[in-house]
Order: sequence, then structure tokens, then C-alpha cells
Amino acid sequence: MRKIYEYFISILLIIFSTFSSSHAQDTVLIPLKIKVGVDLLGPVNYYLNKDILSAEGYIAADLNEKLTITLNAGYLDYKNSEYNFEYNTKGSYLRAGVDLNLIKPKKSQGKYWVGAGLRYGLSVYNSEVPFFSKENYWGKTYSSVGTKSGMAHFFELSPGVRAEVLKNFTIGWSVSLRKLISSGANDVKPIYIPGYGNTGKTLSTGMNYFIVWNIPFKKISVIIKKETKETEEEGESDNPQNNTEDSSGSWGSDQNFQRSSSGNKSMY
Amino acid sequence: MKIPFLATFICILSGLLLLSCNDDSCIDETEAYLKISFYNNTSLKLAAPDSLTVYGLNKETDKLYKNETNVQPALLPLNAAADNCTYIIRINGIADTLRLSYSNYPHLISKECGYTFFHDLFSDSLVYTTAGIDSIKITKNSITTANEENLRIFY
Repeated sequence: MRKIYEYFISILLIIFSTFSSSHAQDTVLIPLKIKVGVDLLGPVNYYLNKDILSAEGYIAADLNEKLTITLNAGYLDYKNSEYNFEYNTKGSYLRAGVDLNLIKPKKSQGKYWVGAGLRYGLSVYNSEVPFFSKENYWGKTYSSVGTKSGMAHFFELSPGVRAEVLKNFTIGWSVSLRKLISSGANDVKPIYIPGYGNTGKTLSTGMNYFIVWNIPFKKISVIIKKETKETEEEGESDNPQNNTEDSSGSWGSDQNFQRSSSGNKSMY
Repeated sequence: MKIPFLATFICILSGLLLLSCNDDSCIDETEAYLKISFYNNTSLKLAAPDSLTVYGLNKETDKLYKNETNVQPALLPLNAAADNCTYIIRINGIADTLRLSYSNYPHLISKECGYTFFHDLFSDSLVYTTAGIDSIKITKNSITTANEENLRIFY
């Protein structure tokens, strides 16, 4: 019987503390967005070097104030001509994964992003070696490798920065470090794989510079700090716009992730 | 907005890494040599000839090895324009002829080095004279840039 009383009292204490402390928190409204973007470096690269034609698009959706699911799709036509070989490849690729924003919501306001993305990549391509030569003791030999198809798989880590420069328009860049899982080639290894890059190194590097159109679809209130009750009773607030718990109908306190009628809540 | 120091550091480091990876020099082995080890026919132990001369058939003026000592292993390039080639091998002053048949296939070394040919040796096509050579054994048919013995010559 005593245990039942203890249990009952504990439940009451938890409920009481939950409701009493819910008024002692600052929150910030973060807009969740669908993002559609294009890579600007592809056309710039093509202007500087006609041997690499690439186009890449980007679509993403915020899951919460930190995580965004992303899908990049692109096409690349690459030609490399050296004194002893020529290599051509063209193909399409997809990169899917998540972006993690390392900036705290109060600073990011849904407009700034400094973080890293993790992606799985898939590339479907054709490659050919129209000619190559090899010289040794017996003389110079010329040969070629016909068109081969392949499907490559890779992982990508892409740290970067993005900032909103106009309302709902973001620009930013990311550097990519890619690790090839499989080139998909049966015999002659490809030099370059669309979406992945140079296969000669342990890691392939790349860079994107995106301009992104953001379409807000939902707002969530994120708890950014916990105040003492005494502070609240004094009725002060440095930033009135951050006191949005009434409109968002918050009802949690001690969990890191809580739900409200207007969406997700997280505490920082 | 103040960009956190750690994120800035990561971005700069990544950029430097990107720049540091653009090395265009070829530093890899580009020739797939036939690698031959020499064995004493009596002791069956590795024994480099006191004198070794090797050249291709009809290429007597262009020798791969010319009266050289302590050659172990000998590295012989194959003719990728044909499916066979013949060497004259003179061990300690006694000349023999060795004829090999093989298939060729292209292999990418790297973007910096380009392509080379690897070969597959046909096991039953080894033809040689036995003036100084006692016997020859194929230890690995696949001839690549890897440091792997392909033939053993017992003399």
C-alpha cells in the first residue's frame, strides 16, 4: 500500500513539475522548409574547362531544426586527354542522405547552416578509352577499350556553410570527401566516375556551390533555454519574440524532444 | 552571424585537403614484368648466375642484361603487340632460347600514369632449349605489376 502511495505521489510531482516549469523556458520559432537548389560550380567549371560538363540539382526537406533529408541528382560528361591516353565517361548520379546543422537554433533562425552532410551515392555511367599507348623494350603499342557500363556505389561526407541572402533564397558551399565502395567495373577500372570523381585516390574530393530556393511548410517552436521561476516572476525577457510558448502550446519540460500543437520542440 | 570556430576550422581544413590532393606526377610501377628467379639445379636453392645476359630475339644490340651478376630476379618486359615473344638467355656463358605465349589485357595504373598491359601466361606453351637450363617451372601465370615470381629457371 505504501508503494502505491509513493508511486501516486511521484506521478503527481512529475506532472506538477512538468506544468510548472513549462512556463520557465524560452523558445524560438524555426521554419521547416523544402529546399530546391542548383549547383553553380558545374557551369563555372565548364566555362573554364570544356572537358567537364556537369549539372546538379538538389532537393531537401527539413525534418527538424537540425536534420534535413537531402537528394542530389546530376549528370556529368567528362573527357580527359593525355599524351598517352584518352578517357571519356558520362552518366547520371544520385546522392541521398542527411544534413546536420551544428548551429544552435537561436542563432541559425532557420536561415543559417554550418554543418556536415552524410550521403550514400549511386552512379550509373558509361566509360571508354578511345586510345592508349604503352612503350617498353619491344616498342610502342597502341590499343583501346570499348564502351563499358557500370554502376558505382560510394559514401560522402560534406561539411559546408549556407546562409539566407534574400528572403527564402540561400547560397552556400560544401566540400565533399567521398569513399568508393564499388566502381561497378568488371575489368578496366574507370579513371573518373560521374558524381564520385577521380578513382585514383583513397578519397575523392569535390565541391558544390548551391543556390537554393526555400519553401517554408511548417513552423516548430524549439526550447532554447531553461529559466528559473524567480526570473520569470520578475516578468523580464530580453527578447520578447522568443517567448512563444503560449502560441505554441508547449507542455513539456525535461525531455530533449517534445511535441506541441504546432510541431516539434527541442531544448537547447 | 558568428560562424562557430570548429565549423570554420573544418571548412578550411577540407579546402586545404582538396588542394593538397592535386598531384599530377606518376609514381607507380607501369611495367608488368615477367619475373624470373634462378635456382641451382643440384641444391634446388636460389642462386643468382655469375653472369647473366638477356635480350629479345633479333635484338642482340639492345640487351636487357649484359654480363650482369647477382640478378635475382630478372625482370623481362613482354611484347604487348604480339601474343608471344622469345628471349635469348645466356647463363654463365651458355645461351638458351625461351619462348613464351600469353594473352594481353589493358589495365589502368592511375590517371597520372595511364594504362599498361597485364598478361596471362599460357602454361602449356613454354618452349625452351636446354643447353645451360635444366628446367623451367611456372609459379604464377598472371603477370602484373605486383612483385610476384612468375618463372623459376633451374640451371
